[in-house]
Amino acid sequence: MRNILKISVAFLLLLTIGCSTKLLDPVPQTSLSDLSVFDNKDRIVAQVNGMYAAVKNGWYLGGRFQSVADLRGDNFIPLSNNAYVNFNTWNHLEISATMEVNDVWNQIYSSINVINVFMDGLKTNWDGGKLKTILTQAEYDQYTSEALALRAMCYFDLVRLYAKPYVQGSGANPGVPLRIKAEKSAGGNDLARSSVAEVYTQVLADLNAAEPLAISSYGDDVLNTTRIHKNTIISLKTRVLLTKGDWAGVVTESAKIVSANAPFVAPSGVANTLSASYPAIFTTNTTKESVFTVPNTDINNGGVQSAITWYFSKDSGEAYYLIGTSAVYAAMDPTDIRRSSMAKLSPGGTQPDQFFITKYTHFTTLQDWCPVIRYAEVLLSRAEAIVRQGGSVTQPAVDLLNAVRTRSFPTGAYTLASFGSAAAFYTAILQERNFEFLGEGMRSFDLMRLGLDIPAKPGLTMGDVGLIASSSSAYVWPMPSGELSLNKLLTP
Amino acid sequence: MKRILMLFSLLLLTGTLVIAQTVQITGTVTSSEDGLPVPGVSVIVKGTTLGALTGIDGRYVLSVPANSQTLMFSFIGFRTQEVVIAGKTKIDVTLQQDVFKVDEVVVVAYGTQQKRDLTGSVASVKGDAIKNTPVQSFDQALQGKAAGVAITLPNGVLNNPPIIRIRGYNSISGSSFPLVVVDGVPIATGNFGITASTNALSDINPSDIASMDILKDASATALYGSRAANGVILITTKHGAGGKTKVTYDGYVGLTEPYHVFKVMNAAQYIDEKNAARINMLGPNASLITQLTDANGNPISTNWADKVYRTGFQHNHAITISGSTALTNYFLSVGYSDQQGIVRSNNFTRKNARLNIDHKVNNYLKIGANIGYTNGYNTSPQVGADYATAASARLAFVIPPVLPVYNNDGTLNIYQAGIGGEGEPFGNLGYPNPVVVLKENKFTSETDRLLTTLYASITPFKGLELKTQYGIDDLTSETTFYYSPINGDGQSLNGDVGGQIRKFRRWNWSNTANYTTILAEKYNIGLLAGVEEQRTLDNASSYEKYNVNDPFFKTYQGSWTNVAMGGGSMGENYYISYFGRANFNFNKKYFIEGSVRRDGLSGLAAGKKYGTFFGASAMWNASNEKFVEDAIGSIFSDVRLKASYGKVGNSSAVGDFSSLFLYGSGLYATAPTLAFSQAGNADLKWETSDKYDAGISFSLLKDRIQAEINYYYNNINGLVLSVPQSPSKGIPGGTIPANVGSMYNTGAEISITSYNISKPNFSWTSTFNFSTLKNRVTALAPGVTEIFGYTGGLEITNKTVVGKPVGGLFVVETRGVDPQTGRRIFVNNAGKEVEFYYEKSGDARWQYKDGSGNAPAISQSSDGKIMGSGIPSIYGGLDNNLAYKNFDFSLGLTYALGFELYNGSKAGLRDQRWWNNSVEVAQTYWKQPGDITDIAKPFWGDNISNGHNSLPQSSCIENGDYMKVRNISIGYTIKKLPSVTNIESIRIYFQAFNLHTFTNYTGSDPEVSSVLESDANRNLAPGTDRNSAPQARTYTMGLSINF
Repeated sequence: MRNILKISVAFLLLLTIGCSTKLLDPVPQTSLSDLSVFDNKDRIVAQVNGMYAAVKNGWYLGGRFQSVADLRGDNFIPLSNNAYVNFNTWNHLEISATMEVNDVWNQIYSSINVINVFMDGLKTNWDGGKLKTILTQAEYDQYTSEALALRAMCYFDLVRLYAKPYVQGSGANPGVPLRIKAEKSAGGNDLARSSVAEVYTQVLADLNAAEPLAISSYGDDVLNTTRIHKNTIISLKTRVLLTKGDWAGVVTESAKIVSANAPFVAPSGVANTLSASYPAIFTTNTTKESVFTVPNTDINNGGVQSAITWYFSKDSGEAYYLIGTSAVYAAMDPTDIRRSSMAKLSPGGTQPDQFFITKYTHFTTLQDWCPVIRYAEVLLSRAEAIVRQGGSVTQPAVDLLNAVRTRSFPTGAYTLASFGSAAAFYTAILQERNFEFLGEGMRSFDLMRLGLDIPAKPGLTMGDVGLIASSSSAYVWPMPSGELSLNKLLTP
Repeated sequence: MKRILMLFSLLLLTGTLVIAQTVQITGTVTSSEDGLPVPGVSVIVKGTTLGALTGIDGRYVLSVPANSQTLMFSFIGFRTQEVVIAGKTKIDVTLQQDVFKVDEVVVVAYGTQQKRDLTGSVASVKGDAIKNTPVQSFDQALQGKAAGVAITLPNGVLNNPPIIRIRGYNSISGSSFPLVVVDGVPIATGNFGITASTNALSDINPSDIASMDILKDASATALYGSRAANGVILITTKHGAGGKTKVTYDGYVGLTEPYHVFKVMNAAQYIDEKNAARINMLGPNASLITQLTDANGNPISTNWADKVYRTGFQHNHAITISGSTALTNYFLSVGYSDQQGIVRSNNFTRKNARLNIDHKVNNYLKIGANIGYTNGYNTSPQVGADYATAASARLAFVIPPVLPVYNNDGTLNIYQAGIGGEGEPFGNLGYPNPVVVLKENKFTSETDRLLTTLYASITPFKGLELKTQYGIDDLTSETTFYYSPINGDGQSLNGDVGGQIRKFRRWNWSNTANYTTILAEKYNIGLLAGVEEQRTLDNASSYEKYNVNDPFFKTYQGSWTNVAMGGGSMGENYYISYFGRANFNFNKKYFIEGSVRRDGLSGLAAGKKYGTFFGASAMWNASNEKFVEDAIGSIFSDVRLKASYGKVGNSSAVGDFSSLFLYGSGLYATAPTLAFSQAGNADLKWETSDKYDAGISFSLLKDRIQAEINYYYNNINGLVLSVPQSPSKGIPGGTIPANVGSMYNTGAEISITSYNISKPNFSWTSTFNFSTLKNRVTALAPGVTEIFGYTGGLEITNKTVVGKPVGGLFVVETRGVDPQTGRRIFVNNAGKEVEFYYEKSGDARWQYKDGSGNAPAISQSSDGKIMGSGIPSIYGGLDNNLAYKNFDFSLGLTYALGFELYNGSKAGLRDQRWWNNSVEVAQTYWKQPGDITDIAKPFWGDNISNGHNSLPQSSCIENGDYMKVRNISIGYTIKKLPSVTNIESIRIYFQAFNLHTFTNYTGSDPEVSSVLESDANRNLAPGTDRNSAPQARTYTMGLSINF
C-alpha cells in the first residue's frame, strides 16, 4: 500500500510538470524577423536586390508585362487560345476579372510596397543612427536612388497600362492610386485614383530625386545592366517624357547621355552605346546597349507560362508569331537581320508558315534575360523628340535613326531627302521602333502614347481581331476586379 | 489546478478507510443465447465501486460489505442485470442479449460513458457499420451514418480526403475539418500527397476500428478546448476480449467504374457544329475542319473518355488475431489493400499492421500499448478538378474527337507539348495527348506512418485511476512527380522530375486523474483532472531536376542536365493544456456536467498565448420519475431532456508564426535577396464558438424504437479572417489575419433507430438520420464587404457576404437564348437585358436587347449576383439491415437537399473554341430565328456566350438535390461447419457501392466538389464543379471467415 501511495504521489507530481515555456516561443527557421534585417550590410544589400527580384517576378518584368504590352498591339498571332497565356489580352476581351489584368496589377503594387517598406526602414534606421557604422553616405544615397527609380518605373508602367494615355486630355483622366508609404498593417484599403498627370508628376519627382543620388557606374557589366545607375535613371526619364509628349524634356535629358555625333555613346557614367551586333544584345545580355535588363537563370526566372521566352520562342506551343503577310514582317527588308534572324515553322495543312523572333531561345530553361530599356530606344526617342520639338526633320535626327536602323539593315540608311515631311519621319520612327523592339513590350504603348487606334490584326485559326479605336473602352486595361472589390474609392 | 490536486490528495487518504465487515459471494454468469459462460462480466455492488470480473469459466468471487443490497452484472452486448443479494452467497445469472443496444458504452473525451448517461451530444458509429466498404479511409465511409455530420467525397479519384462538416461550416479562413483523435492522440489529418492525393486518415485500416464517436456540442468537446469548435471524431481501435483466441479473415475483390461520364459529340457531330461556328464567325470562305481517316480509310472518331477511364480491379485482405487471458488482452491485425481507380494509372495500396495490448501487472498497475504501422502508396495521373491542361477528367471531354491517338504512320499524334492538330484550323491545342500523359507521366505518394500510444495506469484504490499516456504520430511521406519529355507539361523542360519529402512528427503526453464514486447509493460523482502537452514538427524538403540526358531516365536519381531550386517548409507548434471535468447525477435522474480547459499555443503572440474554454450541460431523465413513468411509461420506455452550452475554440487559422513580421529570402538571378514577406498580427487569437444545444431523446415500445432530436445553435465569434487588403497596398499574400468576422450555424437533427423485427431467425433494423443546417455570415472585416471563392485559382465562383451563407454562388444572371437573335441574354446590374455579339469588336460586342444600342460590357464584378448556395440545407441517411436465417441484407441511402451547384464543366462543354461539346450542343444549337434553345448561335472562338471562367453565368447554376443508393449488400453465413475445420463461420457477400444517384443535376455528380479540403479556399467555395472527375461505382464480392 505504501508503494502505491508513493507511486501515486510521484505520478501526481507529473501533473504539475510539462509547461516547457521555451517550446511556446518558437523562432521560424526559414524567414527573418523584421527586427534583424538592417543588422548588417549584407542584409541591406539583399533587401536592395529584393526590390529588383520583386519587379522581376514573372507577372511583371519577368515576362508578363512585356508580353501583354506587345500582344495588345497589332503584330502577333497566337498559337494557342489558352486564356492563361494572355489570349484575352491579345483578343481585346480583357475585362476587370481577367487574370492578367489582376495579377500584373497585384505584382506591380506588391513590388511598390517592397520598395516603400525598404525605403521606410532604410531611412528610419539611418536617421536613428543604426546604419551610420554599417553604410557610407554614398551607399545610403545609392540604395535610396535605386528604390526611387524602381518605384518610378512601377508607377509609370501602371499608368500607361491601366489609364488613358497622357495625350488624351493632357493627363486629366483618372490614373492609378498612388501609394507612397509603406503598408504593413490592416486598414487604409480605400484610395482613389490620382489623375494621370499626378502620377506622371510623382514618377518624374522620384526620378529627379534619384538621379543625383545614383551611382555613376558599378564597374561591372552585369551590375551595370541589372542594377540601376545614373544613366538608367536618365534613360527612364526620356521614356517617361516621350510618353508624356514633353519633347523638350526628352531632348534635354537625352543630351546628358547621348554624344553630339556618331558613334553615339554616353559621355559620363556607364559608357552606354549601341551594340555592334543586334543578336548579340540578346545572347550576351550585358552589352553596353542594355541600359537595364532583368537577369534570369535556369533556377530563377519568370516561370512557365509567364517567362518572356514562353511567349515568343518557336519551341513554345503557346507562343505568338508572325506570318509572311503580317504588316511588320512584310515591311521589313528581307536582308534586315531583325527579319532574317527569325525562325520559321511550317505547320502544313491549311496553315501558312510561321515566323518567330529569336531574342529568347532558352525555352527549356527560361533563362533568357528580359530587356527593359535599351540605348537604341534612347536614340530613337531623342530623334523623334528633336523633330517634334522643332517641327522639321534635321540631319542629327536622321543620324540617330540611322544609327539604329543600319546596324540591322546596312543598306537601309535614310537621308534627309527620304522624308517629305515631319509626319513621314514620325511614321518612319514609329515603324523603326516596331522593327527594333518586337517582343520587348513596346508596340501598344507606342501607339497609345500618340493616341493612335490599335489596328485590326489577323488571327487565322483564332479569328481576326478588329480595330480598337482610341476612344474604345478596350483601348486600355480596366481597373482590376480584385481592387474594385476592396478599394471603395476606386472608380472603374 | 492546485485545488484539484489537494482534492485528490484528500481522496487518497480517505481511500484506505473503506473496507469493514465482508461477506463472500460467488456464482457463474451465462448467456441466454447459448447457455455458455461469459467471461469478463463486470459484477459490482450497486451504489459502490466494489466489484469483480468473471473469469474464463464465467465464475466470479466477490467480497462485499455485509450491508450490501444489490449486485449489478454488466457486459458489452448484454443488458445490465440487477440482482438483490438478500443474504445469498451464491448468485448465478443468465444475461440477456442487448438486442436494442441500450446499455452501450460511448467513448468520450478522456474516458467512456454509458450512452444513456451522456449529457452532451455524441453520435456513435460502430466499426462494423463501415467494415468492408470499398473505400480508402474510414471517413469516406461515414457518409450518411450520423446526424449532423455532412461528408462530401470530392470526386472518384482514389484517396482524396473528403470534406467533413460537423454541424456546418465553422470557419472561413481556417479549417472546418474536425479534430480526429485516435486512441487518445490527436492525429494529423488532411492531404499529405501533392499530385497523388494521400488522405492522412487512410493510414488507419477501417477494419481495425472498433468505434467512431463524434462529439458535436460544446459539452462533449470542451475538453479539447482550442481545437474543439469543428467537432471531434474519436477513433477507438479494437481490443481483444472474450477469452479464447479468435482468428478472422476478411477479404473482398471488386470492380470499380466511373458512374457518369459526359456524353460528348462524336467526330461527325463535331465537324457539323464547329464548322457551322466557323462559317458564322469567318464567313463562307472559312477553312473547314475535315474528317480524317485512319490507315484503313475509316473515319476517325476518338472517344477520349475511353482513353482516360477504365474499370478498375481491387482486392482487400485483413487478418486479425485477438483474445484475452485473465491479465492480458491482445489484438493483432495485418491488412493489405490494392485498389485501382477509375482513372487509368490511379492506384492505391496499403499495408498495415497493428498490435493492441493491455496487461495487468498487478492489482493496481495496468499498462498497455496501441501500435499501428502503415505503408500507403498511391499513384495518380493529374486529375485536379481545375484548369490544368493535363487534368485527366478534363482531357476526357475537351479533346476534339476528330483527332487520332496515333498518326497513320503509327507514331504518336503529338506536336510540341500538345496533341497534334496543327494542320487543322485549330492552331495548336496546347492540351496534351491524353494517352501519352496517362501512360508516361507518373505521380506517386508514399507514406510511412507510426501511430502509437503507450500508457500506464494506477488504481491506488477503487474509483481513482491515475493514467499517463504518451502518443506518437510520425508520418513520413514522399511525393514524386515525373513529367515525360515526350508530350505535355514536361515537354518544354525536356522532362521534369522531382518530389518532396515531408516529415510530420508529433508527440503527445497526457496525464490524467479520474475519480468516480457513488455516495449513499444515489449520488454518482465523476471527476477528471489532467495536463497535456503536444508538440508537432512538420518539415518538408523538395527537389527537382529537368532536361533529361537520355529519356531512359525517369527518376530523380537518373541523369539530368539542370537542377531546379529546391525548397520546402518548416513548421512547428506546441500546446500546453490543463483541464478538468466534473459530472454528477442524482439517482440517474438529474445529471449535470462541467468541463474546462486552458490551452497555451505557441503560434499566438507573446503575452497572448493562453485561452480558456469550457462547456456545461444538464439532463433530466424524466422516465426515472414516478409520475412520468405512471403517465406515459406504457408507451415511452425512456425520456430524457438535455441542454448544453459552452465556449470552444478553433486554432486552425492561427499559423505557426502568424503573429510575426517576416522577411523572406530568395534570389535576384544569382544575388541573394531579402524582402518583406509576411505582415503579421500580434493581436491574433483563436476563433471561439458559443455553442448551444437542446434535445430530447426517447424510446418507444420497450426500447424498440429509439429516437433523438436535437436543436443546435453555434455562434462563431472572432472568426479569424485572412482579411483581404486592397491589392494596391501590396501586402504580401494580399491578406492579414485578424479576429474580425462572425457567423452562425443552426439546425435540427433527428436520428431514429428502429428494431422493426428482432426474432431469432429474422431481424430488421432501420436507422434514419435527418439534419438541417442554416449557415449565415453575420460580420466580415471592417471595410470588407465581400470575400471571393475561387476554382482552380482562375475563376471566381463564390462570394461571401454578410447575411448569406458562406460562399454563395456568384454569377451573372442570364435568361436563356433570345429566340430571335440566338444570343445569350445577360442581365446587367440595372436589370436591363444585354446580348453578346462575339463576332463584333470593341464596344459593339454588348448590345441592349431592346435595340437601344451598345451597352457597357457585362462583368462579374459589376453585374454578378449571388444566385444560390452550395451548402445543403437538409442531409442525412437511411440504413436498413435485415437478417433472415443465414441470409443478411443491407441497404444504405444518403441524401442532400436544398442546395445549388455551379456546373462549371457545363460552360466548358458549351465553349465554342475547338473544345469538344456535349451532344446537347450539336443537337440543339441555335440555327434560325424562332429556335427555342439554351445554346447560343455558335461563333468559332466564342467562350463567353455559354459561360466562361471570367464571366460565370446563371445558366450553369443547377439544383443539386440528390439521393444516392450508397450501398447494397447481400450475404450468406455458413455457421455449422465440421468441427475438424475449426471454423466457426463463413460469410460470403456481394456488395454494390455508389450504385445509383437520383438527381436532376446534369454535371458529373451532385456530390462533387472542385474545391478540396486541402485548398485554402475550402470554406469559401462550396458547390463548385469545374472539370471534376466523376464518382466511382464499385461492386465487390467478399468472404469473412471466423476461426
